[in-house]
Amino acid sequence: MTSEASQNILPADTAVATAPTLKERVEDFLAHEAELLDERRFDAWLDLLDEDIHYWMPLVRNFEHGRPQDEYSRPGVDAAWFDEGKATLRQRIMQLQGGDHWAEEPLSRSTHMVTNLRIVAASDAEITVKCRFLVYVNRREEEVRLFIGKRTDVLRPHGGDFLIRKRSIFLDQSKMLFKNLTTFF
Amino acid sequence: MIYEDMGRRLIDTDSGLVDRAIFADQAIYDKEMAEVFEKSWLFVGHESQIPDKGDYFLSQLGREPVVVTRDAKDEVNVLLNICTHRGMPVCRYDRGNAKLFTCPYHGWTFANNGDLTGVPLRAEGYGAQLDRSKWGLIKARVARYYGSIWATFDEAAPSFEDFLGDMAFWLREFMMAPDGEDDGLEVVDGILKCEIPSNWKFGAENAAGDLYHDVSHKSVQRVGLALTKLRGRHTWDADPAKFKLLNITFPAGGHAVRGNLYENPGRDYQSQWAADPEVDAYFRDAHYARQKRLGEKERLLNRGGIVFPNFVYNAANRTSITSWIPRGPSRTEVWKWIFVPKKAPQAVKDAMRNYLLRYTGPAGMVEQDDFENWGSAQVGANSILARRLPMNYQLRLGDHARWAWPERWIGEGALVDEGVSEHAQRIFYDRWAEMMSGTPQAFRQEAAE
Ligand code: FES
Ligand SMILES: [Fe+2]
Repeated sequence: MTSEASQNILPADTAVATAPTLKERVEDFLAHEAELLDERRFDAWLDLLDEDIHYWMPLVRNFEHGRPQDEYSRPGVDAAWFDEGKATLRQRIMQLQGGDHWAEEPLSRSTHMVTNLRIVAASDAEITVKCRFLVYVNRREEEVRLFIGKRTDVLRPHGGDFLIRKRSIFLDQSKMLFKNLTTFF
Repeated sequence: MIYEDMGRRLIDTDSGLVDRAIFADQAIYDKEMAEVFEKSWLFVGHESQIPDKGDYFLSQLGREPVVVTRDAKDEVNVLLNICTHRGMPVCRYDRGNAKLFTCPYHGWTFANNGDLTGVPLRAEGYGAQLDRSKWGLIKARVARYYGSIWATFDEAAPSFEDFLGDMAFWLREFMMAPDGEDDGLEVVDGILKCEIPSNWKFGAENAAGDLYHDVSHKSVQRVGLALTKLRGRHTWDADPAKFKLLNITFPAGGHAVRGNLYENPGRDYQSQWAADPEVDAYFRDAHYARQKRLGEKERLLNRGGIVFPNFVYNAANRTSITSWIPRGPSRTEVWKWIFVPKKAPQAVKDAMRNYLLRYTGPAGMVEQDDFENWGSAQVGANSILARRLPMNYQLRLGDHARWAWPERWIGEGALVDEGVSEHAQRIFYDRWAEMMSGTPQAFRQEAAE
C-alpha cells in the first residue's frame, strides 16, 4: 500500500462519528439477520419479522417470449414454495426446534450471503430493498444445496432498527433441484 | 409370488421379502421401465389445467416428455414432445396456448392435435414426396376420468377402465368435491416439482399403505397443522367417531387405498376448520350433502392411495396428486398437483390452499420428512453388504386379509385387511413382479376365502 493511499483512510474516531447512511443501516440489518439464521438463532430471527409479514417464494415457470407475466406464480392465489404469515413461520421454527424433524436432524450448516443491495423506495413508513442472495447449505456428510436468486424486502422502521414487513424470494430454479426446502431465505 | 430374474430371487411376497437390488440395480430399472411403465396407463395432468381450446402444458409419461393439449375440436391430446425429424422437443414452455408448435431446428410445424402441417422445402427439397400423415407427433392413447387425464403409448395395453378395475370407485371418489359432487376439484395453478435421491418405488409403495411411519411425522403432529385449533396434522383427527382403518387393495391391478370405515352411518359433522367459521360452515354443509349423495358408502373416508404404478393421491382435505417420475435407479422427479373444490367460496379455496402448501411437497412440513426417509432408505438399497438381507415386508403377514371384506360394496376385487400392516405393499410388489416376469398372477396365499 502506498503512503498516498493510506492517507485516504479515515482515522478510526472519524469513522465512528460519521452517522451511517440508510443504506449502510439496511445492509447491517440484513447481514445481522443472515447471521441469526446461520447461527440457528431462530427465535431471534422471528423477532425481526413484523407481525403482519408476508413471506412468499413463488414457483418459477419456463415462459414464452413476450409473456413474462407467466414466469412467477401469483401470491395468495397460486401454488408457491412459501406463502406464509408469521404464525406459520413460527410453526416451522417450532418444528425445527424439537429434535424430531428428521429432514433437519441434525440441523444443516448454512451460509447466507446478501449482496447487490439497492434501496428502491423509501419513506418514513417503509423502505423497499432489492438484493441478490446466495445460500449454501450442507447437511450430514455430502448433502449440498445451493440456492441463488433475487429478493425484494419491505422493511419497516422499528425503534432504532427495522422489521421485515414483506419478503418476496425469487429462486432461479423452475424445478427444485433438491429434495426439500427446510431453509429460510 | 416369486419373481426370479438375473439369476436371483427378487420378490417373494409369500414370505414378505423383497431384494434390495430392485431399488438400485440399473438392469432391473431398465427392465421395469419397459415392462411396468411403458405398459401402464399413467397420469399426466388435470383438465382444469387446459380449460380453453389451444391450451397446453408440458408433462411426463413415465420418462417420456409429452405435451398435453386441448385442440380445436375440444379433444385432449397427449403428444410425445419430440420432433419427428431430428428429435428436438417442439414445445419448451411449461404451459401456454398455441395452435401450432414449430420446431426450432428446421421449422417443421405441428398442429396442436399432433398433425404435421408444415415442412419447409417440401416442394423442392422433398419433391412433394414426403407423406405428412406419416410424420405427425407420436400420439398416446388418452383416457379422461372425472377431470384426470391418463395416457399410454402401448397399443396393446387393456382399456383404461380395465386397467383401473374396481379402483374406479376410489379414484372417482377422490375427484369429487367434499359434498360428493362428481368432478368437483380444480387444480391450484402451479405444479410443485422437485428431485429426490431415491428410487421411485419408495414413494409409491409408501402411499399404498404405509401407516407404520408415524414416528417420521412426530414433529408436525406436535406442532399441529390442521385448522381445527387442535394438535395434529389431519382434519379428521378432530372426529371422535369410531372407525376401522382399512387397507383396501386391488391385486388384479396393484392399486391400493387407505381408508376409514366408520362404524355408524350418518355420523355428525365435527368441526374441522374451527379457525375459520365460514370455511367450517362450508365443510359442515358438504358433510351432510355427501351423506345424502353417497348413501351407505358415506361411511368410508378415502384417505389416499395409489393407482399402480406411480400415481399417488392424498384425499380427505389434503387433496393432491403426486406423480413419481423415474430418472434412474436412485433418482426420482416428484410432480405434485394440489386441488381445491371448484365451486367452494373463495375463503374455502384459500384455507385449503394454505393448508396444502404447508402440508405437501418439498416445502411441506409433512412431506419434508417423507422425502428424507426415502433418500435415506436409498443408502441401504445401494449398500452391497446390506443386500445380504432382503427388505422386510412381513408386518401382519398372515391370513387375515379378506376378499371384499368387511363390506362387499367396497368392490368384488378388493382384498382388504384392517389396521397397520404391510399387506398393501405386498400386493404392490406382487403386481410389480407379475409385470416384470410376464407371468399371470398365482393364487394369493394371503387371501383366506
Ligand atoms: S429437428 Fe425438428 S425440424 Fe428438424
Ligand atoms: Fe409420511
